[in-house]
Amino acid sequence: MNTLALPAREARGMSPAAVAMWLLLPIALVNAVGFLWPVVNLLRMSLNESEATGALIDTVSLATWRNVLTDSFTLELIGNSIGVSLFITLLTLVASYPIAIYLHRSSGLWRTVLLVLVIAPLLTSAVVRTYGWIAILSNQGLVANLLAAFGLAPPRLMFNLTGVVIGLTEILMPYMILALLSGFGRLDPRYEEAALTLGATPLKTFWRVVLPLTAPGMALGCLLCFVLAISSFVTPKLLGGGRVFLLATEIYDQAIVTLNWPVAATLSMIVLVLFGAALALYTRALRRIA
Amino acid sequence: MTTSVKLAAAILALGLLTQGVRAQSSITVMGYSGLFQERYTKAVVEPFMRAHPDIQVTYFPLPSSAAMLGNLRAQKAAPQADVVIMDVSVSKAGTDEKLFDKIDESNAPNVRDLYPAARIPDVAGVGVTFDNLVMLYNAEAVKEPPASWMAMADKANEGKVVIPGIPDIQGVSLVIILNKANGGTDYLKDVSKGIAAMTEIAPNVQTWEPKPEVYVPIVTGQAVLGAGWNARAQVNNQTSGGKLKAAIPQEGTVFQINTINLVANGPGGEAAKTFVNYALSPEAQKAFTESMFYAPTNTKAQISPEALDRTAVKFMDKVIPVDWIALAKVRESIGEQWRRRVLPASR
Repeated sequence: MNTLALPAREARGMSPAAVAMWLLLPIALVNAVGFLWPVVNLLRMSLNESEATGALIDTVSLATWRNVLTDSFTLELIGNSIGVSLFITLLTLVASYPIAIYLHRSSGLWRTVLLVLVIAPLLTSAVVRTYGWIAILSNQGLVANLLAAFGLAPPRLMFNLTGVVIGLTEILMPYMILALLSGFGRLDPRYEEAALTLGATPLKTFWRVVLPLTAPGMALGCLLCFVLAISSFVTPKLLGGGRVFLLATEIYDQAIVTLNWPVAATLSMIVLVLFGAALALYTRALRRIA
Repeated sequence: MTTSVKLAAAILALGLLTQGVRAQSSITVMGYSGLFQERYTKAVVEPFMRAHPDIQVTYFPLPSSAAMLGNLRAQKAAPQADVVIMDVSVSKAGTDEKLFDKIDESNAPNVRDLYPAARIPDVAGVGVTFDNLVMLYNAEAVKEPPASWMAMADKANEGKVVIPGIPDIQGVSLVIILNKANGGTDYLKDVSKGIAAMTEIAPNVQTWEPKPEVYVPIVTGQAVLGAGWNARAQVNNQTSGGKLKAAIPQEGTVFQINTINLVANGPGGEAAKTFVNYALSPEAQKAFTESMFYAPTNTKAQISPEALDRTAVKFMDKVIPVDWIALAKVRESIGEQWRRRVLPASR
């Protein structure tokens, strides 16, 4: 049908496809220069090799890929990164969902105030917020002192996985809340009223009406937080105490400390593949929801 | 003529006039940022410019040797820097990538007065500072200087030890020291005894990645014992009013070497060589040692006794020789043992 309509429109000027192409050109150019070209460079770097001293050997070989993929540590890194990121994503979702629902239902000035409160943390860099968590979680910090006041021995809350999970969950919450809110468009209070009038319990209403309607927002928020969690390295570096091994921190170590750029580039490509997989999963989930 | 044109002409004329008297060439020195930059500029760069008014020096600070190498790699086609001060193992990588010109007596005569340890085979640069690993302690919590590195394994210090772990070379250094102390002979072949000793310390470790630097948690009392570099420890000792102190325990210490390197095809040409020679001179070495307590690499540098006391020069018998270049080849295997044995003991 569309193809039949095309010639007629062409007569009046550009075809819609051509218009779309021209409109997409600027962002395509920006992406080509700012994203595709660096990725191609990264791919090229991963085909180089590195001497034990860190010296770069300019070559084209799959040796680095082979070494990285056959190293059991790489598998451990991938497993850790996916597991930890999924866990953090889930926690973020659980912590953010009630806030987002409340925000969605509030109105007027109150809503604006709450929205500003949600967005405010994004105005401070993740580094600063992570240092804030250090002040709270350290063994002389707020939590430890509070527990000590009640005569409880504080558990180790920082310089381990616990610290990374706490820090990243809080840091990612604003993103999750905003993503949820943007996906709550279909959630009309009248549906809930209808369900309740028809005799559904509040729990059933939530389970059968609210949750399905908010699923697109949840999917978007989860995708966003998963991608941000798996690529974050400042917070794991500062709160992990050298005990938490993730792809992002290993890429940093390989690039900045041991100087093995080819390995760092290879690991970066693996992260990119994981992003792709997450995106594919998201698209499938979205199709099922719709 | 309008005022602005007159002004422009005047500025131009002034520029042409002063050019004859002032800097004829300019060079860029790449080095560590922070404390190092601050002290090196005062002790070496500024006196150099006073002695050579025709050479303008710009200090380009970067946080680590690796970052410097990254910059040099990116600038390989058209170098922006002339002189680079970096860790010897990174300097070796740069040498292998042909980023540097060889420094020797022919282009920097002061090289002849350097200690043998400052001339490293197969490295284009030469040693400009020596540093050594020290045990750091919070003087308010620990009254006597710890006699042994193994004080970090005492049950009393649980959760109060900070060590920059492997891949940081401070962690590598500690493994080598403990390996020798426990009967290990050749760290290039086997460090299992050092690793075993580290597994005893590991349960007490608060963090393997103290940020921003290992000295800070010791000064604040967040941690009590740690391992760090002497020069920075000495400066932190002064700035903290003695809260942080440093000791060389009985098992000994190892040297870390910063080299000075001449960038191949750097824009500054001869002026860069003049600077390198000055940086290696007895007066520059003396000034920087007395400012930041790196041990000098020039045998003729006459260091004040107070400054000398803060360096490892008097403890040369405690220094375990380390071949950083050869060590680089086994670094990965040491890192592997660290991950498999030391870290699990610290969870």
